[in-house]
Amino acid sequence: MKSKYIIIALLALSSLAFGASESVVWSDNLIDNILGYDKKGSLHLGQYFTILQSTYFKPLFLGVLFGVPAVFLLHYMVIGPMIFSHDRKKIYVFTLFHRVIHAIAGVSFILLIPTGLIMMFASTFGGGEFVRVCKEIHAISTLLFIVSIVPMFFMWLRWMFIHLDDIKWLMIVGGYLNKDKKPVPAGRFNAGQKTWYWLATLGGFIMIGTGAAMYFQDIRLDILASNHISQIDFLRASAIVHNALGLAVVALFFTHVYMAVFAIKGAIHSMIDGHKEEEEVEILHSSYYRELKEKGEV
Amino acid sequence: MSENARLKFYCDEHRCISCDGCSVACAEAHELPAGINRRKVITMNEGILGLEYSLSIACMHCTDAPCEQVCPTDCFYIREDGIVLHDKEKCIGCAYCLYACPFGAPQFPSDGAFGIKGVMDKCTMCAGGPEETNSHKEREMYGQNRISEGKVPVCAAMCSTKALLVGDSAEISDIYRERVLSVGHGVKTQPYGWSTAYGSKI
Repeated sequence: MKSKYIIIALLALSSLAFGASESVVWSDNLIDNILGYDKKGSLHLGQYFTILQSTYFKPLFLGVLFGVPAVFLLHYMVIGPMIFSHDRKKIYVFTLFHRVIHAIAGVSFILLIPTGLIMMFASTFGGGEFVRVCKEIHAISTLLFIVSIVPMFFMWLRWMFIHLDDIKWLMIVGGYLNKDKKPVPAGRFNAGQKTWYWLATLGGFIMIGTGAAMYFQDIRLDILASNHISQIDFLRASAIVHNALGLAVVALFFTHVYMAVFAIKGAIHSMIDGHKEEEEVEILHSSYYRELKEKGEV
Repeated sequence: MSENARLKFYCDEHRCISCDGCSVACAEAHELPAGINRRKVITMNEGILGLEYSLSIACMHCTDAPCEQVCPTDCFYIREDGIVLHDKEKCIGCAYCLYACPFGAPQFPSDGAFGIKGVMDKCTMCAGGPEETNSHKEREMYGQNRISEGKVPVCAAMCSTKALLVGDSAEISDIYRERVLSVGHGVKTQPYGWSTAYGSKI
């Protein structure tokens, strides 16, 4: 009895192996891939990918890479950081679980973003073994990202839906344009944090999917064939989406780091020991503070 | 060959008999690993009467090669004679060249570890790579360098119907034009006989 199941399992596995050996890119599908390049009815993605990659992506990434920090440097020099009293009570906002998951995500971003940028500017680094190693690190650190992003999505989801406060927050750009300590309309998370959350989780899932498609390349997806999308067109779409989303991720990651490390003095400690300064919560998360007050927790 | 010659491949679809000789010759000459098809014969409109034809395709050595434009490592270079080559030591195997290529020419051998794709491999028009010409390293990495020896690329050299043409684009188009113009001319309707061999007089 047992051997029968082993044989069935082996057959199933071998059919997988044979299925994988038939290339989706170069075998009989090559004709679909070629015809799909720029013919009527195709997505014209070959042309778009070539134009975007050859002329637009590099300057755009360069712009984000230097433009975003430049804007923040200007903000730091002209308006300066927010400094809150560290003498009042501290409010416990992030549990150990939140902090561990956030730390894993943080490590994965610190690995993913520089290695991704090195691949984008591979010619500057001379290509070759160094960039190839970065490419593998980019792929391996995705595993860390996957591990952190799934719990992160669920653990903060209930606070991340849009609220009237968010529109008000956006109208005053979160109160970062002046140093007045006026209460800023925001719940537990402000509109900026919510944007970052949705980009990092939903955007993150898309980044993982498109990245995996490009990394493994020759994976057969029946949904593509049934929709008459050729494999190379799918890869082109993946590259375009991955790079475009990557721009946003890099920009918001820089923003996130600037806010935590420079713009709000001591804010980073909330992700280390879980506590925020009471005044910081009172000003920057005024709706949440009011809620806590009503509950008598502060 | 003129000074401004740009070497091109052209496959005459009226002559290609889909024998796959070119791709076999290519794989043999360059000792390509299994699964790497620098050259491939495809059949268009398969099964549609009157519209079916076969073609041999590989890297077409485009004048404005899109692979060269999108490569993040800038590992491509286009020789003066128009042959598009790349430096495998710079290549990181990102496959952007494959996304840009209209012909699906770039190939990616599996690197061994976890079956992950390695650096790109493609038709070199039998012109090797950036390594020292005819060195052992060049042969190992890029295959034969027949161009440096004054030989025709192996695929076109062995094409039995002379469907696959290679050379200066101007000359290739002349040959093709001549072929088109002479269709139906000089076709013998009578078998060769005495008069053809010895003339009409006895």
